[in-house]
Amino acid sequence: MLASGHLANYLLLLLKGLTITLELSLGSLVLGSLGGMVLGAMRSSGWRALRAIALVYIEAVRSIPFVILLFFVFFAVPLALDIDIPPYPAAIAALSVHCSAYMGEVVRSGIESIPKGQWEAAASLGLPYYRIMRHIVLPQALRVMIPPTIGVYVSTIKESSLASVIGFVELLGQGMAIREANSLRNTADVLVAVAFGYFVICFSLSQLGRYLEHRTTHDLQPAVEPSRGAIVRPLVAGRPETQAAAMRWGQTDVMRRASETRSCCTSQHALVCLRTAHNRLGRS
Amino acid sequence: MGALYDFNLRVLLPYLPTLGWGAVKTLEISALAILISFPLGLIGALMRLSESRIARAIGAGYVEAVRNVPLLVVLYVLFYALPASGVRLDAFTAGVLGLAINSTAFTIEIIRAGFAAIPPGQYEAARSLGLHRLQMLRLVIVPQVFRIVLPTLGNQIVSVVLGSAVASIIGVSELTYQTQSIGSSTFRYFELFTITALFYIACVQAISLLWRLLTGRAAHAPLGT
Repeated sequence: MLASGHLANYLLLLLKGLTITLELSLGSLVLGSLGGMVLGAMRSSGWRALRAIALVYIEAVRSIPFVILLFFVFFAVPLALDIDIPPYPAAIAALSVHCSAYMGEVVRSGIESIPKGQWEAAASLGLPYYRIMRHIVLPQALRVMIPPTIGVYVSTIKESSLASVIGFVELLGQGMAIREANSLRNTADVLVAVAFGYFVICFSLSQLGRYLEHRTTHDLQPAVEPSRGAIVRPLVAGRPETQAAAMRWGQTDVMRRASETRSCCTSQHALVCLRTAHNRLGRS
Repeated sequence: MGALYDFNLRVLLPYLPTLGWGAVKTLEISALAILISFPLGLIGALMRLSESRIARAIGAGYVEAVRNVPLLVVLYVLFYALPASGVRLDAFTAGVLGLAINSTAFTIEIIRAGFAAIPPGQYEAARSLGLHRLQMLRLVIVPQVFRIVLPTLGNQIVSVVLGSAVASIIGVSELTYQTQSIGSSTFRYFELFTITALFYIACVQAISLLWRLLTGRAAHAPLGT
């Protein structure tokens, strides 16, 4: 019973809310990512018109608060089109639009991170656009795209909490309903439990992202001259390649390069390098 | 209702001043939140980089906790859960505080990344000149970090302005709140949300442009004189 006011009693309700949040997020992340792929391809296409359309869409959506987007879909669109949009489709639609705009930017920067020479080489081999994309550009771009993608996913999941405001009962909605049902009690613990639920989802997602990023970058074996990303990563992991690279270039040079590679190396890794440098200073 | 929606802006004319004051309020809470969170972000970043294990743990714990929880939940905790433990905040204070708490976590990460981008040679040089820790930070490191993080801080300002719309839900009478309350009495949601969305777009683009103009010179100036 709810009335007993113990967290254990409404834990089941909160868990149900958690699964609904996951479902809502998953749906919008899939739709948003597909939309983002299309937008990213449009943004980096050769046609000026396509680029302009994608640019306007991305800039507009990214300049509007998500609340406004959500209210627009839920309150304004039904009035204008004379149709009825229940909270669930409204939330999914708004979240997908939001996610697709941010993903569009991520995909664009991923595609642009691939040197032009690769496009030219592939085109001169006679590959059509979609095959260049599928076999050459995207596999490499995906690697660069992992960290920002995880960032967009986490923020979309967090924005999904706003669906509770239009009456969709997901994790936060469930928490507020429990609060209302126990209005005479101190229900701070419910809100803390809700916060913890979001924390678990988002934190594990970002850890997963970190793991994926780490793995995919380790696949890059240093060839003749190791690429910058490949140096930074083994340096952190302390693998044999590190010592090899360190010896070849001299320790300080590796450090310097490590801290220069802001684009391929997350601040976390650069920080580790920095701290190593500090310790080294302390010893000498 | 007919097939075509009757787009009518004239109905809203008497409400424009209210919307305008809402917009002012939006900018006000955003500005306050930024003024609180940027200095705290610098302190937090220094904590995350400090030699004390405890300070590092507090910094990391704060950042991870706040970054992985929705802003709305933070606001609800401040507005609904705190009064239960005796601290009563009005909507405006709770809104500014929630935005500041949220923005501080992101600012810490931005500034920390800036510190990480400083070549270790700078630290080595500062130390070999005999500067002690505080001097090194104040004279050598922080000025450079500042230049590196300026563009990203501009994005952070934008995201605070966008986030301030969430404060409408706990009843801060900013733009989104006014839009909704006018909407519920006139039922001209479509026109209202269009106007509000356009305002946010204009505001965000103006902030980005202004920030680039203001910081462009600082960001591109050669280091050292």
